[in-house]
Amino acid sequence: MIEFKNVNKWFGKLHVLNDINLTIPKGEVLVICGPSGSGKSTLIRCINRLEPIQKGKIIVNDVPVHDKATNLTKLRADIGFVFQQFHLYPHMTVLENVMLAPVNVKKIAKSKAEKIAMKKLEQVGLTEKSGVHPAQLSGGQQQRVAIARGLAMSPKIMLFDEPTSALDPEMIGEVLDVMVNLVSEGMTMCVVTHEMGFAKKVANRVLFMDEGAIVETGTPDKFFDNPKTDRAANFISMILTH
Amino acid sequence: MLTDFNFRVIWEYMPLFLTGVRATAFIAAVSITLALITGIIACACRISGIKILKYPAIAYIELIRSTPLLVQIYFLYFGLPTLGVRVPELQTGILALMLNSGAYIAEIIRAGINSVDEGHIEAGISSGLNYVQRMRFIILPQALGVTIPPLLGQNIVLVKDSALLSLISVVELTRSGQTMTSERFMPAEAFLTVAFFYMCIYFCLKTFADWSQRKLIFREVY
Amino acid sequence: MMAFYFGQLVEIFPFFLKGLWMTSKIAFISLVSCTLIGLVLGIFRSSNSIILRHLVGVYVAFVRGTPFVVQIFIIFFIFPEWGIQLEAFSAALLAMAIMGSAFICEIVAGGIAAIPKGQWEAAASSGLTNLQQLRLIVIPQAMKIILPPLVGQYVLLIKDTSVVSVIGVMDLTRVGWVTVVRIPEGLMVFTLVGALYFMISYPLILLSNYLERRMAV
Ligand SMILES: Nc1ncnc2c1ncn2[C@@H]1O[C@H](COP(=O)(O)OP(=O)(O)OP(=O)(O)O)[C@@H](O)[C@H]1O
Ligand SMILES: [Mg+2]
Repeated sequence: MIEFKNVNKWFGKLHVLNDINLTIPKGEVLVICGPSGSGKSTLIRCINRLEPIQKGKIIVNDVPVHDKATNLTKLRADIGFVFQQFHLYPHMTVLENVMLAPVNVKKIAKSKAEKIAMKKLEQVGLTEKSGVHPAQLSGGQQQRVAIARGLAMSPKIMLFDEPTSALDPEMIGEVLDVMVNLVSEGMTMCVVTHEMGFAKKVANRVLFMDEGAIVETGTPDKFFDNPKTDRAANFISMILTH
Repeated sequence: MLTDFNFRVIWEYMPLFLTGVRATAFIAAVSITLALITGIIACACRISGIKILKYPAIAYIELIRSTPLLVQIYFLYFGLPTLGVRVPELQTGILALMLNSGAYIAEIIRAGINSVDEGHIEAGISSGLNYVQRMRFIILPQALGVTIPPLLGQNIVLVKDSALLSLISVVELTRSGQTMTSERFMPAEAFLTVAFFYMCIYFCLKTFADWSQRKLIFREVY
Repeated sequence: MMAFYFGQLVEIFPFFLKGLWMTSKIAFISLVSCTLIGLVLGIFRSSNSIILRHLVGVYVAFVRGTPFVVQIFIIFFIFPEWGIQLEAFSAALLAMAIMGSAFICEIVAGGIAAIPKGQWEAAASSGLTNLQQLRLIVIPQAMKIILPPLVGQYVLLIKDTSVVSVIGVMDLTRVGWVTVVRIPEGLMVFTLVGALYFMISYPLILLSNYLERRMAV
């Protein structure tokens, strides 16, 4: 479903993605972890072309993402993206946030889009907040709305960039619960996170990155309990002591 | 379109333009200095809380800000003689620029002072500093950082504003263009040359203003 | 003597109202056109295209770097040299549009730049086109930031219309200038002119102060 072929990316002289080869089949839940600055965000931002790449190829649903001819709008409609900082639209209500893309990208009638949006809000447990503005919500609630917004386009893939890192500890659970439910529906997911519990519970595979390269991949249990490389072992002991 | 653009005539008039540049620089330098003094006094009166100082200051600032500079220039130029005061054009013009920019500068300084954190002022009061000491040690040093970039901006505005003095026959850069136009009727050559010189002045002042802003931001980080 | 001139001034007051009407007309037309052009230029100035950005940048620098009165002279005198006849009124409007749009462009670009990058990215991620991102997400938010300085700029532009009197447009300032030749009471005449300008611009100044205060909280 998602395929990286010898992907290389530089920010100026900084080699942020170093020859990435990766295949994510349909229905897989992939957790990406690694130290700060290792290129995790950059990696998943390339999947929906928020970032350009300089070498290699990324193919999503048989479409080469970085081709000039690719219909970006269509590509992105199939990929939901959830940001660390939520990035909800502050000038719109929760419902309007969720409805925006269905109405303007898919050109669905407003009344129908509203029904879809309410269903997605129900999925994240926030129907009663549909009329308020994001500023009136807690961090956890905002992130759940952001997930509903991503789901509103009925995407085939969901990408999460540290969805719980900006949250107070007591709110992390509610967001992870929503994500776990998504997994049970068979969504293909790519999650950058350091939440070991989440990874062990639902991930099919963990990918460890350092300095722009994939250092190690494995099942969650194997990776967290018996890392093959020293770098991964170091990293795991660091997040454990936190 | 500018095929017969006459560089030779421009060259011939170069001494006149250079005199104009010098005059504009002189007028701007004198006016901004006087305006700074006016602005500081007006601002001090404005925030003093003493009614007979505060209200005239407000009236002055608001009247200047809500009428065009050109009308202010004409007001002085045609008005002073009716009062029996004979002032040469140059001085009239500088007076107008001083009064005009003074009002804007008063507001810039006031904004700077208002931007100082209430907590710092309270801390000053708590440690027993009087009004003057608080101004001197807490408010002004902080306000200065916020005030300098817009002040330099006002300086740029003033240079451009001084072009209006040409309309009361003060000899300066724009007037040079008018003179050349009336003598040779080559307005394109004349006013594009004038514009070129203003651009040069603008870039010098702008570079300096940007530089000072970077410097100030840099200091803030520390 | 004063009283005599005052009587005369009252007599020709309709003349001043005509000037006021001309000033209002120029101000209104140029504010509308400056806002529209400035909005488009501001969007160009914040675009991804380096060429477009710099092109607008040069335009803005040229306008900001030269006095408005020089710009008016250039427009008024040069167009006829190129064979384009431009009457004073059109030249005045053209000059105002060019000058004002450059200043408004900077305000708009500043407002757009103040919107966090994440807002663009979130909108892009859900498949909105560049234009939709701008129209639905960025501009509505930037509007709140733009509005106070925009109204402040309007005040400056209204006052700048006085400069068009130099090419003979019969606006308020020109009326004062013509009158003072007949009624040599400079103080009285230009107090009246000033008062009429005050009437237009002071309400806008109050509005701009109010908007700025509301922004601050
Ligand atoms: N727009 C950019 N311009 C230049 N350098 C960038 C840019 N974005 C990221 N980088 C650099 O690229 C490297 C990888 O960044 P990235 O955000 O992908 O790391 P990360 O693994 O997500 O880190 P974190 O855990 O802190 O989010 C970092 O060194 C970062 O400083
Ligand atoms: Mg990151």
